[in-house]
Amino acid sequence: MTVRLITRSEDETEQWGRKLASQLREGDCLLLVGELGAGKTCFVRGIAQGLGVEERVTSPTFVLLREHRGRIALYHLDAYRLAGPEDLYQLGVEELAEGDGVLAVEWGDKVRDFFRDDYLEIEIKILGDSVRELSLIPHGDSWKTRMEALFPQLGENGAQAK
Amino acid sequence: MTEGKSELVLGIETSCDETSASVVREGREILSLVISSQTDLHSRYGGVVPELASRAHLEALMPAVEESLREAGVGLRDIGAVAVTRGPGLIGSLLVGLTAAKALSFALDIPLVGVNHLEAHIYAVFLEHPEVGPPLVAFVVSGGHTVLAYMPRHLEYEVLGETLDDAAGEAYDKVARLLDLGYPGGPIIDRLARQGDPEAVRFPRALMHDGTYNFSLSGLKTAVSNYVRQARASNRAFRVEDLAASFQAAVVEVQVEKIARAALEKGVGQVVIAGGVAANSYLREKLKERLDRHGISLFYPSIKLCLDNAAMVAALGYYLLREGKTSDLGLEATAVLPIGSP
Repeated sequence: MTVRLITRSEDETEQWGRKLASQLREGDCLLLVGELGAGKTCFVRGIAQGLGVEERVTSPTFVLLREHRGRIALYHLDAYRLAGPEDLYQLGVEELAEGDGVLAVEWGDKVRDFFRDDYLEIEIKILGDSVRELSLIPHGDSWKTRMEALFPQLGENGAQAK
Repeated sequence: MTEGKSELVLGIETSCDETSASVVREGREILSLVISSQTDLHSRYGGVVPELASRAHLEALMPAVEESLREAGVGLRDIGAVAVTRGPGLIGSLLVGLTAAKALSFALDIPLVGVNHLEAHIYAVFLEHPEVGPPLVAFVVSGGHTVLAYMPRHLEYEVLGETLDDAAGEAYDKVARLLDLGYPGGPIIDRLARQGDPEAVRFPRALMHDGTYNFSLSGLKTAVSNYVRQARASNRAFRVEDLAASFQAAVVEVQVEKIARAALEKGVGQVVIAGGVAANSYLREKLKERLDRHGISLFYPSIKLCLDNAAMVAALGYYLLREGKTSDLGLEATAVLPIGSP
């Protein structure tokens, strides 16, 4: 089940990140997909708040990987400039992906092959100046179960929320 | 350490996409500066590619060190200390420089000095302007950083503000990408903007009057993206030059306002800007105009020393060495390293 959400401001996008955080646990991988300015970092900022990270989440573009400490750790990666999944090994992401925190990867479509079938994809589409469509696409059973927990109003084939 | 040679510091810089080595005397006089740039290598990817960067550093570093010694007319045995960037930057890239510096320090039995790249940018100004020194307000602005700091004395820093999201250089790169202009975005946008109208589009001036010294550029990037998308959707023509000028005006106006306010609040007579984006002609011009009104002097490095270079690393290394602030061979590379961190 894919859940589609419409948000009408950065704050709303951030809020969905906060809500998602309640379902997150160590070893989780999130792939964020969307063009420049779609709100990927904004969504991750919400996740960070939900995880109890106190410092502000800034763009990981330059350093590629930022680490934040909250209820559990948040590893925030920007894959835009990575040539492909093999670069993730170089950065030691393998350990992070199975480790003590949540890994959130911007431009996740560039390194999708790195992740086995157990991740949540968050696709953000720009519909208007501040209107976005967030698609939450679960991969693997654990994510399917958690999406149902997060969106109990959705039936077996439920696809639209809000 | 033998008498007389301690004044020569070999600097090594590999934090991002430039491999650089330099020999500097007494933190002031550049005897040689070799910079091997990877811009061509990375331009087709629209930014630095980490794995490519590390490999390129590995190939370029020792030849750069040798050339810097040759150019300076000295041998390895004449070097009194080796200074190296320990962060912030790409870990893989930093490690190349750090490992080489440790090997040199160990083999030659000379002190190793780990240097903060952002602080080194400030010291680039002192290399070319011996009349400049603390107290001052410094704005370090580049592809990965936007920091406003107060420097009461040498080697002492108080961070006043920084970016809450994107660094200035990053915003330039991303907007250049949105407009299909190429990489790096800073010089391209600066050049186009000169033929454009900065008032063509009124983009938001984020945090202009929020009372802090922080910056935010993510919203501006989105505003440019929205403008382009709408124009394309409705087949409305726009001049890229106007868009570049309007974007740049929005960035620079906030920077000028905050830098000037910081300088006035701290009561300093000198402001320095450093880092790659300090090469921006519009920032230099607007900031000078503003500071002139208050009788505050503005200093910035030449373009070559604005970019990442090892001369600034050697310069700061010399000041640290003089204070006995050397590092041991356990020195580690640090990706995130704010100005003034121990």
